[in-house]
Amino acid sequence: MGSLHAKAPADPQPKGVKTSTVTADKKKEEVYVNFDKLPVRVQRVVVDGLTRTKDDIIIKEIKPLLSAKTFDELVQLSYGAKVKMERLGLFKNVVIAIDVSKDKRENGYEVLFEVQEFRRVDGGIYTSISNNDGSLDFQVKMPNMVGRGEQFRLDYTVGTKKTHGYSAYFKKPLNNNPDMFIGSTAYQFHGEYPWSGYKQTDRGIAFDLTFPTLFGSHNLQWEGVWRDLKPLSRETSFSVREQAGHSLKSSLKHTFSIDKRDDPILPTTGFLWQTSQEYAGLGGNVEYAKQDGTFQWNTSLPLDTIFQLSLAGGIMRTLDPRASISISDKFFLGGPLTLRGFSMRGCGPHSHDNALGAESYWLAAAHIYSPLPFRPGKGRFGDLFKTHFFINAGNLGNMDFSNLSKSFQYLATTLRWSYGAGIVLCMGRNARLELNYVVPMRIQKGDKANSGLQFGIGIQFL
Amino acid sequence: MSLTEYAIQATLGGKKETANEPWPDDVILYQQYQVEQITLPDYAQCLAVETFLHMCGLKFRVEQRTNAEEMSPSGRKVPFIQVGPYLVSEFEPVVGFVNTKGFYLTKDMPDTERSEMRAYMSMIENIMGNAELYLAWLNTDIANEVTKPRYGCSYPWPLNWILPWRKQRDIRAKLKANEWAVKSLEEVCEEVKICCQALSERLEKKQFFFGDHPTELDALVFGHLYTIVTTILPGGHFTAVVQEFPNLAQFCKRIEDKYFKLGFD
Repeated sequence: MGSLHAKAPADPQPKGVKTSTVTADKKKEEVYVNFDKLPVRVQRVVVDGLTRTKDDIIIKEIKPLLSAKTFDELVQLSYGAKVKMERLGLFKNVVIAIDVSKDKRENGYEVLFEVQEFRRVDGGIYTSISNNDGSLDFQVKMPNMVGRGEQFRLDYTVGTKKTHGYSAYFKKPLNNNPDMFIGSTAYQFHGEYPWSGYKQTDRGIAFDLTFPTLFGSHNLQWEGVWRDLKPLSRETSFSVREQAGHSLKSSLKHTFSIDKRDDPILPTTGFLWQTSQEYAGLGGNVEYAKQDGTFQWNTSLPLDTIFQLSLAGGIMRTLDPRASISISDKFFLGGPLTLRGFSMRGCGPHSHDNALGAESYWLAAAHIYSPLPFRPGKGRFGDLFKTHFFINAGNLGNMDFSNLSKSFQYLATTLRWSYGAGIVLCMGRNARLELNYVVPMRIQKGDKANSGLQFGIGIQFL
Repeated sequence: MSLTEYAIQATLGGKKETANEPWPDDVILYQQYQVEQITLPDYAQCLAVETFLHMCGLKFRVEQRTNAEEMSPSGRKVPFIQVGPYLVSEFEPVVGFVNTKGFYLTKDMPDTERSEMRAYMSMIENIMGNAELYLAWLNTDIANEVTKPRYGCSYPWPLNWILPWRKQRDIRAKLKANEWAVKSLEEVCEEVKICCQALSERLEKKQFFFGDHPTELDALVFGHLYTIVTTILPGGHFTAVVQEFPNLAQFCKRIEDKYFKLGFD
């Protein structure tokens, strides 16, 4: 299969369109050609360079071209098809050539797509960043595996904090829509959580469906994961130790997000709204319901400054009255990128230096970002840096569902807050690094505050 | 490794208490659920430790947890006791720990007898310990009908077959390494018989193995033999072997009456 040809229907041009025919002679005389009005009749579309991509998916994208009435429309449709085919992960590169048709019929055109498919197997070694942990990813992927934009990926990750894991991931777009796809994954991941004194090995499978709607994007996921929690050392608190063992979580999670920001790390305008609901208890021995949400709003102020307001909160409840929620499902608060001025997971209930987490939290932060003073490296690397002033507040606590108003009152009155200033560095499009001077203003008993300089690196921040 | 080195198995951070404090009131012994969950080899270990503590006249409370094995400070070894900030697991470390607290069963024992006692103890640990593991996990009928369902009883599917399978694999590897796995059931029964023979000859008509007072050995022997005699397993191989020695059976009865009159708690 070398190329794909599509021919226009044999019926003659519709009546009434033929008004002023542009002949070859006239073209020479006139300098301006009005592409809006220039009538075209696409006679042939050739897609060259196909090896494994399936015909049906290409035909679906190419077909609209045949109905182009004007040259302008033809160019736009061709460009749209190119972008869509690239976004579907079919081709590495698409070059479009539009020419008059060889048989010199009136207004006859042909379009040539020269496409370049991905290599069958591709791979690489990347560094990636999660919260206060760097890791090295070894990746092998098979883009456009079966020929309809499917992607298969194998990953192996080793982190600086004894974390390691591997995963296999398969994704397939649905209905030729790059924003609507199903994914499935199988993974094993080992992580260590010294703030809480435990380590955990997760082995799981997950299936998810992502689809766009008028308002935002939805993601529906089922996950089944076997967690093996072990005390990290002999120093681990007994409250953590008694949660050691195996658990099986089978959960359904719905995430709804609208992201209208211009950049995920240092946006200048736009907002993010993300909420998720999780229900665990479809089999397995972990039963809870969890709500979590984040809202962020950015606006540009004069003098290149940006104001950012972020809010986050979550609440969860066990659905099994005999069991309490495991430490691996609970909420934690504190850290150099979330509630600044506190150590990692440094707020809330602790037992012998181990953070135990809680069933609800809220967090709010306001930032003012501005360029570096005197603008060194303007237009170049200097734009990756910003100074910021911030104030953040939050709280973490357990819920008494029989006396909600008291619980909420407790969460509001025992809040922690801090303020400070520092430098933010945007790393790529998915991580950031902060060096701040922080002044914790309100600390509760048992908290681990971190006043003065605090350094943080990560993907989750508020 | 000496017993005192075993003693400080785990400290829970925070306050560092001296090991010479008297026995606190809230000592807890953790083990799996006795009726539904615990396997034969684990139960023998738990019973030995409980008996030892009873013999010392120390107060403790048994707490049953499905994840006792994973909670254990020595990694998958039951039982373990929680004494203030300390966690100590397994028989010998518990004995060492209790000794550092100032409680002894064998304080005035001559060294020759003490080393003899040690020899018997290591024989029990070796032969009875391995034989119990063999019977519970490597005998196909017993493993499939009793041990694996019990081991997996507290987990949902599919963990209720993955975890017992994994445990069986580990036990098999362990018994392969010490060459027990290649033995036939008859050979294992023969080993148990030799062990019982030796114990029976040492016990003769005495109250305890070393005279009128119980020792660690008595606790360990009771833990293993009582478990074997009272646990009903398909085939009943070991039970028959132990019952060939009437003085051992009487010994078990005697210890039970003396230390477990009020039942197992």
